[in-house]
Amino acid sequence: MFLIAAIPLLVAILCLLVKDRPAYEYLTLAGTALAGGFSLYLAWTVIEGVPAFTAGHIFQIDALSSYMLVVITLLSFAVSAYSIGYMRHELEHGEVDAKTHRYYYALINLFVFTMVIVPMANNLAVLWMAVEGTTLVSALLVGLYRKRESIEAAWKYIMLCTVGITFALLGTFIIYYASAGTAGEGTLEWTALNAAARQMNPATVKLAFILIIVGYGTKAGLAPVHNWLPDAHSEAPTPISALLSGILLNCAFYGIMRFAVITDKTCGHQFVQNIMFTFGIASVVMASIFILIQGNTKRLLAYSSIEHMGIITLSFGTGGAYGLYASLLHILNHAFGKPLMFFVTGHIRAMHGSVEVGGVKGVLKTAPFVGVLGFIGVLALTGMPPFSLFLSEFLMLRGLAEGGHWYIIFVFLAASGVVFYGFMRAFGGMFFGVPPADVRKPVQSRLSGAVLFCLGAGLLVFGLYIPDALDRLITMSVGVVGG
Amino acid sequence: MTKQWVAVYSITDFISVCMLLSVVALNSVRRIETCLRAYTLNSLLLALLMGVSAFYLNVAHLYIAAIVTLATKGLVIPHLLRKVVKSLKVTREVEPYINTPLSLVISSILVVVVYSSLSKGIFIEGFAENTLKVSVSIILISLFIMMSRKKAITQVIGLLMMENGLFLAGFSLTYGMPTVIELGVLFDMLMGVIILGVFLSQIKKAFVSVDLDKLTTLKG
Repeated sequence: MFLIAAIPLLVAILCLLVKDRPAYEYLTLAGTALAGGFSLYLAWTVIEGVPAFTAGHIFQIDALSSYMLVVITLLSFAVSAYSIGYMRHELEHGEVDAKTHRYYYALINLFVFTMVIVPMANNLAVLWMAVEGTTLVSALLVGLYRKRESIEAAWKYIMLCTVGITFALLGTFIIYYASAGTAGEGTLEWTALNAAARQMNPATVKLAFILIIVGYGTKAGLAPVHNWLPDAHSEAPTPISALLSGILLNCAFYGIMRFAVITDKTCGHQFVQNIMFTFGIASVVMASIFILIQGNTKRLLAYSSIEHMGIITLSFGTGGAYGLYASLLHILNHAFGKPLMFFVTGHIRAMHGSVEVGGVKGVLKTAPFVGVLGFIGVLALTGMPPFSLFLSEFLMLRGLAEGGHWYIIFVFLAASGVVFYGFMRAFGGMFFGVPPADVRKPVQSRLSGAVLFCLGAGLLVFGLYIPDALDRLITMSVGVVGG
Repeated sequence: MTKQWVAVYSITDFISVCMLLSVVALNSVRRIETCLRAYTLNSLLLALLMGVSAFYLNVAHLYIAAIVTLATKGLVIPHLLRKVVKSLKVTREVEPYINTPLSLVISSILVVVVYSSLSKGIFIEGFAENTLKVSVSIILISLFIMMSRKKAITQVIGLLMMENGLFLAGFSLTYGMPTVIELGVLFDMLMGVIILGVFLSQIKKAFVSVDLDKLTTLKG
């Protein structure tokens, strides 16, 4: 289990020591592949029925942790594979110098390291430290280009997220205080808190949960505390945008989930549900409006991340078997769909020199492979069948309908319609139409092509059929969250 | 035991109110060095509070927490910030968005709001009661200072003050976290300050100033 965390850390250090360019690129690739392999193995043992295990009370792996680890490490692998081609292109065009290029790989490994610590942590203060660590490392990555815009985005990002997460720490302290009021001693271990949840003072826990959802919600990009997100996602290098959007937001949401489980037991489901619905629906509606008027596709995708985090929050708030399953499945699906779209825009920017709406035309003609996959990504992200995001959104709607939350369903569907129109308006013109004559040659390496293909295939396959192993893992994770 | 508590009560209240005053003082301070001094004072008071409580309550791990706080927040972070300020060559905060009297009024309103909303005693009582109110006030006033200032460095100081308030809150609720946790959180904060310092010099290079009202290209 510790290998999953140790490998990225080790590779990060090696990246600083090894000066040879292809060497550190492939080291990163191998490192993330290994970490991915180990977390798959870990998930396998969990499915096989090995009970949740703890290590020194600080770390713990249960089904939910191993599920998150799989999502995190596999996506990191995809991103590091895509990075090789993309960052070489940036290096050749003078966007970054050789030294920054090397730092990029060291930082990306460090970033993965901080992210894999998040689901492993059993101690909630360690969880907090890991989430704060992700902010610090990724802020350096967001500001990598050292242009005015990227520095501004990074500054905003680190400031807002640090302030937000300060509130999360206060919430963590208050949970500790609440647990000190029970029969046992004060504790920050999630397992112990979960066991003592019913004895804690509901008023105290309510206050803690509000602070937590504001704090980690800032990091997870929930409206109305999302303001850093569009800037950071649009100014970061494309692979980093994919990492931020695909998994970092989920790491922060994972923090919320863990606290929600405790709060659910102490204060009853209604309280958690009301808060989750408020944040969820606010995110979906707000994002849909900004998607409609957005002129830059990278920012549009960033707002789409807010929308999807809103959907995950909504499904989680719905609760019950359907809602929780939908929430966890949506985490995976979004982690496939959003990086795919970011990678596609990365390709488009390399070829057409622009990602503005209306500034690019005819991608399907100039680069059919990227165009088709991009179109799949658009359909998937807007929740069209037969792609996997449709499945999880449908499950959420089913959960909502069973709970009788018709007004939420109505608002959600209306917002989805707006999102669909916004996506089509932005990307329709981009994919179709006659391309201009001065398009640069596509800079496609075989590796990044394979990454795109796998992500697109994942979207389609999981939309049609969920493998038994995955199904069991998610069901077991639902047991952790709902039990 | 009762006598001990009385003693702890009054002296902790005294120190934490001093911390609150040092934050309120930030509202009226223009020179960056003085802001830094206010922060240093604030941190020293926090360390003192921990030390005093450790002495009265006779808890060993609070001594460690006090010493670590003194070392990082009282010495290392102010030193780093002073270096950054020197290299940036900023000395004064030019006209904040909100003038001094108004910001003092807003700060006092914040304190009143915190005291009245937390006074119902829904969940906290005893030793922690006053300190918690003070710490929440510190957090909110620091947040207000962060929002109302233009210089990036003052924002950093506001953020650090906020974290001091947070530590005070954590301390008042729990008599300090387990030492390992405290060390980890402090380490994160130290890294944060270093990284913010890096960004400050980058802002200076890219924008030829550290006024944040120039950072307005990203909207919508």
